Amino acid sequence: MNALLPDIATILPTLLGGLQISLTLTFFSLLFGLPFGMLFSFGVTADNKIFRYISVFFVEVGRGAPALVLLQLMYYGLPNVQITLTSLVSACLALVWTTAAYTAELIRGGIQSVPHGEIEGSDALGMSVRDRLRFIVIPQGMRIALPSLMGFAVLLFQATSLAYTVAVPELMSQAYSTGSSTFKYLPAFIAAGLLYAAISIPATWLSVLTEKRLSRHL
Amino acid sequence: MSHTAPTKIRNVVQVRNLAKAYGDNVVLRDVSLSVPEGSVTAMIGPSGAGKSTVLRCMNLLEKPDSGEIEIDGHVINARKKISPKNLAALRRSAGMVFQHFNLFPHMTVLRNISLPQERILGRSRDEANTKTMELLTRMGLGDKADHYPARCSGGQQQRIAIARALALGPRVMLFDEPTSALDPEVGVEVLEVMKELASEGMTMVVVTHEMGFAANVSNELVVMADGCIIESGDPRQIMSDPQHERTRRFLRAVLER
Repeated sequence: MNALLPDIATILPTLLGGLQISLTLTFFSLLFGLPFGMLFSFGVTADNKIFRYISVFFVEVGRGAPALVLLQLMYYGLPNVQITLTSLVSACLALVWTTAAYTAELIRGGIQSVPHGEIEGSDALGMSVRDRLRFIVIPQGMRIALPSLMGFAVLLFQATSLAYTVAVPELMSQAYSTGSSTFKYLPAFIAAGLLYAAISIPATWLSVLTEKRLSRHL
Repeated sequence: MSHTAPTKIRNVVQVRNLAKAYGDNVVLRDVSLSVPEGSVTAMIGPSGAGKSTVLRCMNLLEKPDSGEIEIDGHVINARKKISPKNLAALRRSAGMVFQHFNLFPHMTVLRNISLPQERILGRSRDEANTKTMELLTRMGLGDKADHYPARCSGGQQQRIAIARALALGPRVMLFDEPTSALDPEVGVEVLEVMKELASEGMTMVVVTHEMGFAANVSNELVVMADGCIIESGDPRQIMSDPQHERTRRFLRAVLER
């Protein structure tokens, strides 16, 4: 027990490579997931049936199925239909799907909270639908959605730990392998937890700060 | 016929046989109305009479079930397919001012007024900003250009909204209860601006509960009740000698307040 602190201090630096992979996974999931989320946020209420059905399918499955199931499906399931992906790509694909599904709903909520009067105002001025989206609806909708999107990014970062089940060498699997090779599970997982918290807590503060800053003209 | 007469006054707005219902609830039945160039038409009547609906049909914010709207030569028939081009042209000819201003809260006052000019008229940013500053100065709001709307008072916001509509050079201004959300004292600032516009010859249609404005500024009074125009004509004439029992009842109610 006395050795706990020194053990944590020794293990922590060895986990930084894993942290980097966790962050990379988060980054790419957001990079590809957010544009799809934006697309689906319009898709679920679109007049075009095909666009709407496809959007509803991805959003409902992405939110309905646990990320772990999607992850396993991509890595262990797809080879049954002759699609074999590396562990990193399959993890990324599953998290992109989850990200798109959840952010679609967050963005839709933001967009729908733009007051109807402003839409009428832009209509009465004779603005085109495109300009209305570009200058009025999306800037304000994203502004409203941004704090919750940042909150989602924190959850996503934590969810990358699921990728350890498909052998992505991210933070959680690094901690696990350190634990199993040295039997120092306790310091290993505490160190991992500290690293997750070191990113998540400031990021949460940032989202609260952003919320305050963005609502100042409203 | 009169179309050969040299002194014929052009109608900027013509509304023909407008009808609208929400399910079983009929809000407009066969409303027709002409607004001559340079005139101020005030529309009064009890709430639910359909005044705002007529106004909102004029620039197609509400789509009538049947009837025809003509503004500055652009005709839209409710029963035919509405082309986006024609709709845009019609809306460009009509400036609209709302009860709750409907400014864009995420833009400065300057951007609120300049952006529509850039996007709709294709003005450069410099041209648009020059026009905006000219209008703001005229409204006595030259120092508000860099403020956000939320930092302006209600009366200021409404004048900004008027400037935003005027910046596009409309042929007619439509006002939907422009002072109803304001304190009476602040409403006066807005009424002053409207009076000035009227004296400059702007064609205006004003849905209002301001009887003073209706009596003193408008040239034409339209009284609506239950989705119909029940009386229209010279404002002083109607106010002093209403022909219709429903008008009498309404005027008694507002004037006794």
